Amino acid sequence: MPTVVLMDASLSMTRPVSLEQCSEELQRKNLAVAGLTMLFEHMANNYRLEFTSLVAFSSLWELLVPFTRDYNTLQEALSNLEDYDKTCLESALHGVSNVVQQEWGHACPTQVVLVTDGSLGIGKGSLRHSLQTLKGRPEDKKFPLPFPFPAKLFIMCIANAEELQMTDTMHNLEQLLQLNGGDGQIFTMEGQLCLKSVQSMFGRLIDEVYSPFPAVLRCGNLASDVQVFPRPEPVFLDEEIDPMPRHILTDLEIVGFIEIGDISSPPVMSRHLVLPIVVNKEVDDVGPGTTEEPEEETSANQQAGKVPNFCVLLHGSLKVEGMVALVQLGPEWYGMLYSQADSKKKSNLMMSLFEPGPEPLPWLGKVSQLGPISDAAENPYGEDDSKSPFPLQPKIKRSYAQNVTVWIKASGLQTDVQKILRNARKLPEKTQTFYKELNRLRKAALAFGFWELLKGVAELLERECTLLPDTAHPDAAFQLSHAAKQLKLASTGDSQYAAFDQNINPMHTDFSGGGAAGM
Amino acid sequence: MKMFSVSHKTAFVVDHCPYMAESSRQQVECDVLTKSRGQGMIPLAPVSKSLWTCAVECSMEYCRILYDVYPLKKLINYIVSDSEFHILNSWRQEDQSTHELMSALAAVGPPNPQEDPECCSVLHGLVAAVESLCKITEYQHEARTTLMDTADRVANRGRIICLTNAKSDTHVRMLEDCVQETILEQNKMAAGSDRLMSIQQCELVLVHIFPQGEDTLVSDRPKKEVSSLLTSEVHSVRAGRHLATKLNILVQQHFDLASTTITNIPMKEEQHANTSANYDVELLHHRDAHLEFFKSGDLHMAGSTSRDSGLKETVTLKWCTPRTNSVELHYCTGAYRISPTDVNSRPSSCLTNFLLNGRSVLLEQPRKSGSKVISHMLSSHGGEIFLHVLNSTRSTLEDPPSISEGCGGRVTDYRITDFGEFMRENRLTPVPESPDTEASGKPPAERAKAQLERYTRYWPMIISQTTIFNMQAVVPLANLIVKESLSEEDLLTCQKTVYNLVDMERKNDPLPISTVGSRGKGPKRDEQYRIMWNELETLVKTHVAGSERHQRVLDCIIACRSKPPEEEERKKRGRKREDKEDKAEKSINKDSEDKSWQESERLKGALERGKEEQGESEVIKDSPDSPEPLNKKPRLDEIQLPEKAKGPVSLLTMWTNRITVANSRKHQEFAGRISSVNNKAELYQHLKDENGMDLHENGKATR
Repeated sequence: MPTVVLMDASLSMTRPVSLEQCSEELQRKNLAVAGLTMLFEHMANNYRLEFTSLVAFSSLWELLVPFTRDYNTLQEALSNLEDYDKTCLESALHGVSNVVQQEWGHACPTQVVLVTDGSLGIGKGSLRHSLQTLKGRPEDKKFPLPFPFPAKLFIMCIANAEELQMTDTMHNLEQLLQLNGGDGQIFTMEGQLCLKSVQSMFGRLIDEVYSPFPAVLRCGNLASDVQVFPRPEPVFLDEEIDPMPRHILTDLEIVGFIEIGDISSPPVMSRHLVLPIVVNKEVDDVGPGTTEEPEEETSANQQAGKVPNFCVLLHGSLKVEGMVALVQLGPEWYGMLYSQADSKKKSNLMMSLFEPGPEPLPWLGKVSQLGPISDAAENPYGEDDSKSPFPLQPKIKRSYAQNVTVWIKASGLQTDVQKILRNARKLPEKTQTFYKELNRLRKAALAFGFWELLKGVAELLERECTLLPDTAHPDAAFQLSHAAKQLKLASTGDSQYAAFDQNINPMHTDFSGGGAAGM
Repeated sequence: MKMFSVSHKTAFVVDHCPYMAESSRQQVECDVLTKSRGQGMIPLAPVSKSLWTCAVECSMEYCRILYDVYPLKKLINYIVSDSEFHILNSWRQEDQSTHELMSALAAVGPPNPQEDPECCSVLHGLVAAVESLCKITEYQHEARTTLMDTADRVANRGRIICLTNAKSDTHVRMLEDCVQETILEQNKMAAGSDRLMSIQQCELVLVHIFPQGEDTLVSDRPKKEVSSLLTSEVHSVRAGRHLATKLNILVQQHFDLASTTITNIPMKEEQHANTSANYDVELLHHRDAHLEFFKSGDLHMAGSTSRDSGLKETVTLKWCTPRTNSVELHYCTGAYRISPTDVNSRPSSCLTNFLLNGRSVLLEQPRKSGSKVISHMLSSHGGEIFLHVLNSTRSTLEDPPSISEGCGGRVTDYRITDFGEFMRENRLTPVPESPDTEASGKPPAERAKAQLERYTRYWPMIISQTTIFNMQAVVPLANLIVKESLSEEDLLTCQKTVYNLVDMERKNDPLPISTVGSRGKGPKRDEQYRIMWNELETLVKTHVAGSERHQRVLDCIIACRSKPPEEEERKKRGRKREDKEDKAEKSINKDSEDKSWQESERLKGALERGKEEQGESEVIKDSPDSPEPLNKKPRLDEIQLPEKAKGPVSLLTMWTNRITVANSRKHQEFAGRISSVNNKAELYQHLKDENGMDLHENGKATR
């Protein structure tokens, strides 16, 4: 989930912070930079796969750093930030929207971290003005929220809540969140504006949004501590019936394995890297406060590389065998683990999340009904792996798989009639197909109450009978007049002849031709 | 997404009154005469459909599309109305199929023009439809029972589609009023019933059908609110083609469908088999498959075209060769069932048959810039065709660290092939739902997990950690012992495996023992066998709780494995004491059944490292007679020593020390260690006296 940091660079950010105990004069901007520095440092160390970009805004906006994992560049741009004129949030949000769409399209969930002092401009271009004129805007001048992509908006105020509540700023910011579908949060500073309180505010953001997601991946007794990146988001199912957010478990248990061909490119809600980690279990016993030196850490990492890890084994075998592991994420919630290779031939263990529910993929059926092959009387994959129990067939075939009759277009009806006539001319060889097509037409005509058609086709068959060449097999004439007679009887609606599930059967004749023999 | 939205229940009310028998006056020429045969023949008069036939076939088309795209949870109740109402099916899922409906419609037949028009009315059907909407569906019932106290969250909404021939706008208003009144009436009744639900929202869609060439007596009217419960809209449509188009648009609106046209489908010409032409096929599917286009405003760029005065839009996607193979796992963000608009046209059936045969097609989104982006894929799964949406934007997970750079990434001898075999054995298969399996307790998925648990009780991850899994001779036993229950035959096979190993030992066959971490030639042959037997015992011990036969496999191993003679003596001396130890060990095993394996895993890791550091001090490993039970732990203690001496204590050392301390409480300290000097004791002093004794004796015979 990429992050856009939207930094207020308006003049009001340069307002000094009144500090009693601090000797140095600090601006709000300094506090903001300190907070962001802390965020960037945290990401560089603990969340380094996150793509982050930096946008500064005043009355204009500028993309200072495009999406990157290079936190030094971000830090540098932050330190070189200049001061500009007034705050104009609307255009800046437009900017964010553009920047994200250009890079990630419209499906990628994004996090927007807005850092501002809470003075949101005056007059035209101010947030207040934007919000007052929300309604009745032309299509091309719509307010940028909600974003066209799923986005969480985190508003980091370099101000405390009381300050913001004195004016209507807090109210405006809350409105802004609502416009974003309520997705996000407003953070304010507690107590005095100082380095400590800004760090505590960004600390809260880090804890909620940028802390790694630790989990344990299990396959029976084999297990590995892992980090799932990006953090899996809670999922809401039917808001009406099931309004509770669903979180994935931190215990990821493998249920079994399925071939890639059988799972066959399933739709997924999100994808996550599963990275094996070393969890320092001793920490609980020794107590907190034992932070390792970086040097030791690298040697610890090297050491960890040499200790066999289940993730690596699993990844290797999944890759070689072309299989996926079905993993349980929660009650009636599943996902799959597989080996994912990028263009540089680097591969990694990836986890995709299916939509929660007992049956995420129709072709697998209910996941709870998937059992070990040893439960089956006969190996469903065959002794030589030539078979597969998947995909499951639906109970009722879809229309395109069952030769339905549709006469909405005249051509559909004409084709069906011509098919009968074509076969009629090839009697008795085509007796089977002739009656099959005839019965298909008869069924549809009865269902649609289209008795006129039955009469019409009966007449056509009678005419065909008169047109039979002298060389024709005698059976042909019998079958044609028999069929015509049966159609006419059906067209009366007489329940004896017009039953839907009844078929017209070929007439049994004494001419032991191919047709009769084929009965 | 709401499960119980208006589209959960759709009641079709089709007018079956005498006037519906009237001809639509749209004629179909079904006698197409070919030039060669047509001479001098009078062609058959064209047939024409009645208003009834038009209404029925268009409503069936609506149902066909709906059932293709939503085979479950979107239900139709089909009602026919004349002098009374006829309900052709129920809300039950098994009643939801076009075949069922066609069969019921055939039984109804076309309207009887001779019937007294005074007693016939579509009103009967509308009243029945409202009553029917109050009836609870199996899905609503299920949701209510699972929700219990919040059952009121389960909504009851529905839609009535009425196909009729109305007299006038006043007549239409009368029908609306009637529906409104019936809803109020039925809601009162439903309030006092368990099997009925009151209607919270109802959409009435009145379709007035009139023959071609006539002027309509009823005016079109967009959706309006009749009351807080009822909205109503009126569509006045000519029978035939127009009606079909209208219902096609309605089914799209009602069920959030969108249209995609696949272009450039290469197809062999019927007449000229060696030429091919390109065809287009239109498909309907859930509109979320176009989400990306809607959001980006790319709809027009994606080649959408408007037809029928802008009411219907379709997105054009281009057929893309080369095709994809099934073993590729695409990143797919959605898969939606499709239904071809023109199901039995030749291009449609060619495309669907091609897909049903198991092939997949990638689809390309034409862009203004001329660049190509593969945005969708058509693929069938078990006779159902899905439109997959492929991710075509940059991935946030690009350029991840390779797995070889992370934890365990530098280990090179993982048992990849063995684990592959393990995965094949633990593949899943659908187990048919039956009351029997439910009675037996665990659902299949839980049984699958239980099997994984059994199979992994002892599963070393790297080749150098194991001997037995590198030996062909052990395979039969290793495959069987993990089973939930063993047959008499299985037991026999296991025992044979053990005898075979004994045989190998007697013949002094080499073992594939790892020499990683040890310098020189590695352990001696007899030591190799001792390691192998220990490992085999470890494996089998994790399963002895399974059944009596599992226990017998272990008994067999214990009985057969070679015991060096000096142990015999010790046994003679202290059989009692050993019995005690045995028991103690068993209880330990039970206590730490779950952890013991992980622990021993850790210990082994430590052992490997210990060996490296220890260098030449192979004395211990070479010993033919380390005591078997818990033999690794004391050894570990000694290995830890040099590590301890090396400056800061590592976490591993701290952990293992803790474990050792815990373990040492559970067993008597060895005499050797108690009397050791600098934690080293001279071992096998007695060997000096008893030199030359035959070390290889069959343990079986000695017992």
